[in-house]
Amino acid sequence: MTAMTDTVARRPSSRRRQIDGWRWSGRIFLVFMLLYTALPMVWMLITSIKSGFAAMQFPPQWWPDQPTLASYEKLLDPQNSVGQDFLHFFWNSLFVSTTTTILSVIVAVPAAYAFSRFTFPGRNFLFFAVLLRNMFPAVIFLVPLFILMRAIGLVNTHGSLVLTYLTFGLPLAIWLLKGFYDNIPVQLEQAARIDGATRFQAFVLIVMPLSTPGIIATAIYSFIGAWNEYIYAYTFLSKNEQLTLPVGIQRFFSENTTDFPGLMAASFMMSVPVVVLFLLLQRYFVRALTEGAVKH
Amino acid sequence: MAHVVLNDLVKTYGAFKAVNNVSLTINDGEFVALVGPSGCGKTTTLNLVAGLTSVSSGEIVIGDRVVNDLDPKDRDIAMVFQNYALYPQKSVYKNLAFPLQMRKLPSDEIDKKVREAARVLDMTQLLERKPRELSGGQQQRVALGRALVRDPAVFLMDEPLSNLDAKLRVQMRSEIKRFHQDLKATIIYVTHDQLEAVTMADRMAVMSGGYLQQYDTPAQVFAHPVNMFVASFIGSPAMSLVPVEASTEEGAPVLIGAEGWRLQLSPHNAQKVAKAKTKKVVLGARHSTIKLHKSAVPGSIPARAYTVEPTGDITFVQAFLSGAIVNVSVPPTVAVAPDEQIWLEFDQDRMHLFDGETEMALQAS
Repeated sequence: MTAMTDTVARRPSSRRRQIDGWRWSGRIFLVFMLLYTALPMVWMLITSIKSGFAAMQFPPQWWPDQPTLASYEKLLDPQNSVGQDFLHFFWNSLFVSTTTTILSVIVAVPAAYAFSRFTFPGRNFLFFAVLLRNMFPAVIFLVPLFILMRAIGLVNTHGSLVLTYLTFGLPLAIWLLKGFYDNIPVQLEQAARIDGATRFQAFVLIVMPLSTPGIIATAIYSFIGAWNEYIYAYTFLSKNEQLTLPVGIQRFFSENTTDFPGLMAASFMMSVPVVVLFLLLQRYFVRALTEGAVKH
Repeated sequence: MAHVVLNDLVKTYGAFKAVNNVSLTINDGEFVALVGPSGCGKTTTLNLVAGLTSVSSGEIVIGDRVVNDLDPKDRDIAMVFQNYALYPQKSVYKNLAFPLQMRKLPSDEIDKKVREAARVLDMTQLLERKPRELSGGQQQRVALGRALVRDPAVFLMDEPLSNLDAKLRVQMRSEIKRFHQDLKATIIYVTHDQLEAVTMADRMAVMSGGYLQQYDTPAQVFAHPVNMFVASFIGSPAMSLVPVEASTEEGAPVLIGAEGWRLQLSPHNAQKVAKAKTKKVVLGARHSTIKLHKSAVPGSIPARAYTVEPTGDITFVQAFLSGAIVNVSVPPTVAVAPDEQIWLEFDQDRMHLFDGETEMALQAS
């Protein structure tokens, strides 16, 4: 009897202790992960405001003695050659990524809608064929695509990159959006068509606004993919004035001696558009990825 | 408002015939229910009328136009969907205004019509809400409002009440009926609930397996079902159907049950059985047309009570007879115990007789 009351009385506290144990190890793990992802970026930022000499010191200066924005000024100054190149690369990246994003949305939206709503011969085959590209590492396609681009005369053009990035980004974009359209009841369109809309109007006026989160997620995904891509840009482009940021930065700063503060400042500025984009639109992104997870 | 004619309507999906040669005439201002179990082709038929599905063969006439090749928007119809299909990103006001905007009405006229519809449906205070902020009944009402705001030739309703809870369903049922009476609207109403069809419709079209089984007023369908399917589908609890064998004893036709009992037939029923092409006959009777006796009376059949279900004002007794379950209703004052010996007496005038092979009702002439 005593033993029983004892266990009954003790159980809640021992259980709570167990949960606490898990909770704390979870927190520690998350803090560790946070440091793991954030510290390199913090270090990038700190290094970017050091002088070239301070960056090379050992033991390192945890906080620069004389913080300076000189690297940023140099990179953003259109008067000197470094700044000219950097701004050029930045513009190239922006152009390639934006074009990729726009085209990707233009193609993925109707494609996903068609996969979701229409039945046509070879629908399932096509739908899975779309994924075929993503089943192989990107490098495998490097040489074949290069030969292809040379054959159609696109080597050393931004068009070659846009085309390549589209083939990488579209499969996921189509899959993501199809999930969205599957979740929009077909009766909404039917109601719109009865209410006086054409099929196209029903799509534009009713379905498109409902799939905005999906479209935004797709756009972010395409943009980031294109913005960060290195190996294809490195292979397809050789003219200096055409380089995109990842390749440009790498080439630019390893030509003579490595200018670490400059490299870090450039890297930081390269990450700004992506971070800003993500912060602005992240709630759509999360919504898109979890859409359909629970029934509303 | 307008009348609707379906002429030999067929819809096939590959080898599957969803709608088989359905012909119906729906008069101007008439409320017609398409009723049947799921998969019977009733919703497909409605979608054909709406133009959401293309016709395989046959003809659809709305008003005086053949609309087979017209887009849904050009058919002058409005539709209420089972899930209401309210535009989730639009407020109630914009939901109601959408069909008018699509028809390019001037905005002051749109405003007038939307407010009028809101007033009729008693939801003026809800106009700025989004659909997700409304209760099921309110969403239902908005869906109805979006249909009536445009004053279409025909209203199509696809199970509009089946997402509501039981109490609200009964309430909305009378509201829709009232709506029909006030507007004199032509309504085609799809439902799997025979009670909705019986209570609301002027005429009901009972469908099964893509075929139109019977098209008549609810009273006629109830009193004179053309076959065993209609007999068992319409009415609750369902009509009891007892397989028996027709025979002649001492010159008089009788029905013989599996347990060996005999049922003498009235001259009218005897005539029906005499015309039958088979000896296998099915006897049909609704619970209210069977009398339950505690002792044998002339013309009654012995049976054993199986279950007893009191519902308050009426008690249902189920009994096994010839391998089938027979439903009898008795006043709650009559106490029947399970397994008790009882005697059943069928009302010959309200009894149904079916051909056991074709399942069609036997006719006297």
